[in-house]
Parts: sequence; structure tokens; C-alpha cells
Amino acid sequence: MRAGPRRRLRGSGVGDRSGWGSRPRATDLPAVGVVPPETAPLADLETILGEDTTLDRPWLVIVWNDPINLMSYVTFVLQKLFGYSKEKATALMLDVHHKGRAVVSSGTRERAELDVFRLHEHGLWATMEQST
Amino acid sequence: MSSPIRRRRDGRYVVRLDPNARVVLADLARQLPEAIASRDPMVRRLFPPAYPAADFAGAEREYRELVDTALVNHHTQALEALVATAQADTLSEEEFNSWLDAIGTLRLVLGTRLDVHEDMEAPDPEDPLAAEYGLFLFLGELQYLMVEVLAEQLPDEGRPEGGL
Repeated sequence: MRAGPRRRLRGSGVGDRSGWGSRPRATDLPAVGVVPPETAPLADLETILGEDTTLDRPWLVIVWNDPINLMSYVTFVLQKLFGYSKEKATALMLDVHHKGRAVVSSGTRERAELDVFRLHEHGLWATMEQST
Repeated sequence: MSSPIRRRRDGRYVVRLDPNARVVLADLARQLPEAIASRDPMVRRLFPPAYPAADFAGAEREYRELVDTALVNHHTQALEALVATAQADTLSEEEFNSWLDAIGTLRLVLGTRLDVHEDMEAPDPEDPLAAEYGLFLFLGELQYLMVEVLAEQLPDEGRPEGGL
């Protein structure tokens, strides 16, 4: 069914972002390679990385209010895509409706991007941003 | 009166629709793939930004390169399935889901063209947009009834990966 283009997308790089390039990844941090793990307990690593541990902050997937999609449709899509209970999906939908936006999932950048894509396939207005 | 849309015990979906409505649906769905392929401004709502912030322009460009073909194919296939089955009395689960996709896509495009907003009043009957607005409402009713039937099959308690 809908898995067709999605499967193709996965194979074409959403899950494999080695070529993403422009922004550094946690795995690219030189500090981890420079300091042997056995001599660098967690506290030291945190000191080395300092305040700049932005790479570890999760990415948030946000659904925005839009005047076209039906409320019941938004609830249905959240249940279907994320496996949320009807109660949770309804609460998220109402947040979108009343507050203008709601965080519907979070995780790695790759995961967030795949979620955004699935929401776009379903016509929802979804964006992603790194948590602050 | 019972809903014109229901799921039969054998898993097929029954859609009771006026023959004229079927013709209108097929006509609308037939026109859209070309507009999508040519990126007519009226289909812009089908391609929301993933990274709206200005300092993520590069990431947005890469996202578009990665997904736009898949989005176009996804919507086009659903619209073609709607055209192909517009006259059918019963639909397979796959066809029914294609209808839902296609009707959602049509609503997004019509809604963009009509510049709909919440609490919008219906246009005056003399308004040239009145017919199109009527169509937009019709598609909304259809979508609502279809979602009602599909939602019945989802577990209220969610799936395990859905967490709390």
C-alpha cells in the first residue's frame, strides 16, 4: 500500500545520512576519538564538550494548526502513524487546534525527518526543530 | 439514516455515492497530477517545509531533494487509483486508503485556492467560487465519514510503540 514510496525513500538515504554533510553529528566529534574512553569518564567528556553538547539534543517533530485538515483526520493520522492511543492522539490534536502546534514525536534527526515525511505524505503541516 | 460508507465483514468497503458525485470526483482527481507534476502554485500546500527556519535553508534543500519525488508519486498514485475506481460500488482496503489520500489531497488544493480559514462563511451563491466551496465541503464530509470507518479499526489503546 503506502509502503511503496516510503520503502524507496528509506533505501535512498533517509536512514543513511552519511552524505548529509553540512552539520556535524555526534559520531563525528573528534573529542571521542582523541581521548581514549578508559581515561575519559563521563564527567570529563562533559567538561571537554562543555556547554556545546547541542548535538545530543533531540529533534522535535511539530504539527501545526491548519485551516483545512479535519480534526478527526488529524487524530486518525497520529494514531495510525505513531501507534498512539485514541486518548493521546486526541489530546495532541486538541493542542494543535488550541495552541497552534504540538510536538508529536522526538528523537534522532533521521527519525524526526522520517516522521515529518510520513506526516507530509498524509497532508499534515509538520516541521522539525532541535529542542533547546 | 445509516452512513453511506461502511466496512463489510469480508473487509471490503461499501461507498454509496451519487453517480454525479463519482463523475465529479474522477474529474477532479484526473486534473491534479499534471498540476502536481508542474508544481503549479496551487499545489504548494502538498509540500510543506520540514525546516522552515532561514538558517536551515541547506537542510531544507536536501530534504526537498530527498522526498519530493516520493511525495509526488504518492499523491499521484492515490489520485490515479481514485480515477480508476470512481465508479466501483465496493473497494478493497488498499483502494479505500487511496481514496482517503486522494480526497485529502484534493481538499488541500481546493482549500488553498479558496484560501479557507476557520470560521469562514460560505461564499455568496452568486460568487463564482461558491461551486468550488460546495465541492470543498462535500469532500470534507466524505473524508469525515471515511475516517470514521477507518478509525473504528484502530485500537483505542494504541499500539505498543505508541508508549503512554
